[in-house]
Amino acid sequence: MIHRTPWYAAALLATLAACESRAVPPPLAPAALAAAPWTEVERQARGTTVTMAMWAGDEARNRFFRDAVARTVEQQLGLALRIVPVADVADIVNKLLTERTAGARGSIDVLWVNGENFRTARQGDVLWGPFADALPNSRLYADDARATDFGTPTEGYEAPWEAAQFVFAYDTRRVSEPPRTLAALEDWMAHHPGRFTYPAIPDFTGSAFIRHVLFHQPGVGAQRFAGPFDEQVYATGSAGALAWLRRVRPSLWRRGETYPATPADLNRLFANGEVDFTMSYGPGFASERIARGEFPDTTRTFVLDEGTIANYSFLAIPFDAPNPGGAAVLINALLSPQHALDKLVALGGILPIAPDRLSASDRARYLAIPAAAATLSFEVLAAHRIPEADVHYLLQFERDWRREVLQQ
Amino acid sequence: MSGDDAERARWRVRLMVAPALIVIVGLLGTGLVAALAQSLGLYGAGAGGTLTAEHYARVLADPEFRASLALTLWVATASTAISTALGVGLALALRRIVTGRRVMYALLQVPLGVPHLAIAAVFLTLLAPSGWLARVAHVAGLVAGPADVPALVYDRWGLGIILAYIAKEVPFLAVVATALLVRLDAGHDAVARTLGASPWQRLRLVTWPLIAPGVVSAALMVFAFVFAAFETPFLLGRPYPAMLAVVAQQRYLSLDLADRPAAVAFALIMTALSGLIVWAYQRGSAACAGDERPMVF
Amino acid sequence: MPPVERQSLRAVLAVAATAALALGPLALMGVTSAGRQWFWPDLLPQAWSPRAWAALAAPGAGIGGAFVRSAVVASLVSVAAVVIGFPAARALALHRFRGRGPLMLALLLPVLTPPIAAAMGLHTVFLWLGLTDTWMGVAIVHLVPAVPYATLMLAGSFARFDTDLEWQARTLGASPRTVWLRVTLPALAPGIAVAAAFAFVISWSQYLLTLFIGGGQVQTLPLLVVGFVRGGDDAVAAALSLVFIAPTLVIFGSVARFLRSY
Repeated sequence: MIHRTPWYAAALLATLAACESRAVPPPLAPAALAAAPWTEVERQARGTTVTMAMWAGDEARNRFFRDAVARTVEQQLGLALRIVPVADVADIVNKLLTERTAGARGSIDVLWVNGENFRTARQGDVLWGPFADALPNSRLYADDARATDFGTPTEGYEAPWEAAQFVFAYDTRRVSEPPRTLAALEDWMAHHPGRFTYPAIPDFTGSAFIRHVLFHQPGVGAQRFAGPFDEQVYATGSAGALAWLRRVRPSLWRRGETYPATPADLNRLFANGEVDFTMSYGPGFASERIARGEFPDTTRTFVLDEGTIANYSFLAIPFDAPNPGGAAVLINALLSPQHALDKLVALGGILPIAPDRLSASDRARYLAIPAAAATLSFEVLAAHRIPEADVHYLLQFERDWRREVLQQ
Repeated sequence: MSGDDAERARWRVRLMVAPALIVIVGLLGTGLVAALAQSLGLYGAGAGGTLTAEHYARVLADPEFRASLALTLWVATASTAISTALGVGLALALRRIVTGRRVMYALLQVPLGVPHLAIAAVFLTLLAPSGWLARVAHVAGLVAGPADVPALVYDRWGLGIILAYIAKEVPFLAVVATALLVRLDAGHDAVARTLGASPWQRLRLVTWPLIAPGVVSAALMVFAFVFAAFETPFLLGRPYPAMLAVVAQQRYLSLDLADRPAAVAFALIMTALSGLIVWAYQRGSAACAGDERPMVF
Repeated sequence: MPPVERQSLRAVLAVAATAALALGPLALMGVTSAGRQWFWPDLLPQAWSPRAWAALAAPGAGIGGAFVRSAVVASLVSVAAVVIGFPAARALALHRFRGRGPLMLALLLPVLTPPIAAAMGLHTVFLWLGLTDTWMGVAIVHLVPAVPYATLMLAGSFARFDTDLEWQARTLGASPRTVWLRVTLPALAPGIAVAAAFAFVISWSQYLLTLFIGGGQVQTLPLLVVGFVRGGDDAVAAALSLVFIAPTLVIFGSVARFLRSY
């Protein structure tokens, strides 16, 4: 028995190794990418493997990429797509930073990234580029979407890919009319203590929620936060915001002595009736969960009258990507209207491209997609959209929250 | 044995232990030295290149470290003490049962084959305020709603974590204690009985001293394991303060690379504390049993 | 109730209670994996659905790959840990040499070092060796916790082994190889089986080391389980947990009979 095991292992080893080998991609410099005609770039990438690091917490999303998307890019572009699941994008950025210091090899070609992670990656100079403007499909995306990411200029080092907008969810059976302004929310909490909470910082969703509190303080407003970091604006807004958060803390779930660690935990609380609201950056998140049997069928979503934060997530290429040419080709394919519509049908969400930039046939296809009951329409979301602010507001406010609210 | 034979025998021994030493000292030993260098600011991301104790000072002065240490010591102590008491008690009770003993002992060993990670995952479903145990309590009329259920997960005392470890370590300690009891010479007990000792006296003065070294040794392994554990507190514990390993991991993965040396210092302080506890035990006990069977994973 | 019946009743209750405590968590995993719309205060799901299990089996899920990877790595680690630990255990148990005490301490080092500290240190070493992000690197790093346990267990076996048996076989004319195959190994077989089983389970359950050294590229079952639990899909997490547990239960079950005697 002891002798046989290594034999099996060796056979499996050989099989695994054989499956992994494909064409070796030629080295490529960003300037060469910009200079070469796109058909040439596609031709060189044909037959290579592209490795993409993607958030893996959603099984439907994993399946969509591993099955449908992998098949499409194989058939149309000859690319073998390999997905590397990631629990937190920050881990990958961390890995890249370590790889730069230690001089280790890279293994990822495409990275799904935004905000604070992008800023850190740029500061550490761990991204390959600029490349975004060389991609034919990037012109479909709005200029303001392409130019900055949480106030950090993208400079072509990342391409906008998915649009997200913060929404709240509630159960119509339990709450007939949800509070639609910050003041109404505070009032609701006072009348229903222990029925609302939000994920603790450093969770991304929890951080977004407290940013709404920051932006919507009376006398400040979200417009003041657009543009580079302003100490004065921050001081005014944060004073009121921190006071608001401290005020409502006793009315939170478990009197604010503990917070759910992740959006998944908050969703569980919501589904089991411990709290009456949950929240997410994904406008289609409630519909998805109703379909999976995780949320009651009577769940619906809403946005604040003052608006909710909308942002893009981006795709970038690490500095040590083994196959940057293939990465560029894959990213271009993921930016295409065809992929965006396929994803909308499979996973829900909102279209990242403005409908008027679509071709006539694509627009027709878009309009034909049935609306999900628990997802708000594009128009409603667009009418209540406020942009992300400079990342320094985020970092500073997270620090202040930990100090003033959590550790009290 | 001639000098040459002795020399050859010595080389034979060195060859026999070499592979194990390469793995442990070569890999882990080097790794710990590298980590030490990182924590002292000599090497790696976020390091200045000059020897400094500032990262250690920063960690020791951090209120989160102190809170985390207190929580971790509490969870490790409570888990170990309760598991040992229940595990040894179970082993002693099993000795006196005749019918069904084999079945019970077999059932008791099932949790040994279930990894801690899986227990932590299912305990989330079991112990949450709207979890399965709470629903049983609701059906029994003990609670009206989830809000009345005391927090067992994401709570400040780490109760869910303690329960998850008890679920795994009680069977472990029961098996260890049973193995020790089985090997006891029944003669001691018989002599004590003929001398008129009561069952409780026999337990306290004869049985316990004989199995104590093995039991305490296993309990110490459990303590060190829970003290340093990551997966269970990661899934069941609340964000702040978290247990030591969780905080260390969070800091290591911080996007600000300047935090990295302090994160490594944090982990090395944990290592020192773990070593200190074991060293204290070694000093306090006379012998170290040679056939311990650590079964934690 | 007459005493005998009372004792039987007590025995039945005791067995039932033990069964509930030992098997309850597994049953809960099963129910969670097959349920749909399971909210407070229901003790059982409102509806049943094979969605979670179908999701596991789906080709795009990556579960099969993770299972194979975990199995290959754990098997290699199991074999290697026994091969490495066997001579060291023999030296430890049967030979008198000067470094015996320090060797024991060295063996305890991986046991006493918090996994998070070990992961950080080993991460640096494996970056130097260029073994990060590879499954081979993950297998090698799993040896760090596995070798000490395998060695200590085998040392226990050797301590109970009577070397006179070997000496007698030699004097009867057996070659060293025959002695090894026909005397030593059979006598130590239970200990070897237990050590191999433990090394397998140690590797199978590793999370932090696989995460740090594998860099997220080497997907093993523990990483997936944590991902799904944190991601909120409880049904899939439960189904995956059962898949994760099954081999360890089987392996443990098959060596359990050696635990008392050896």
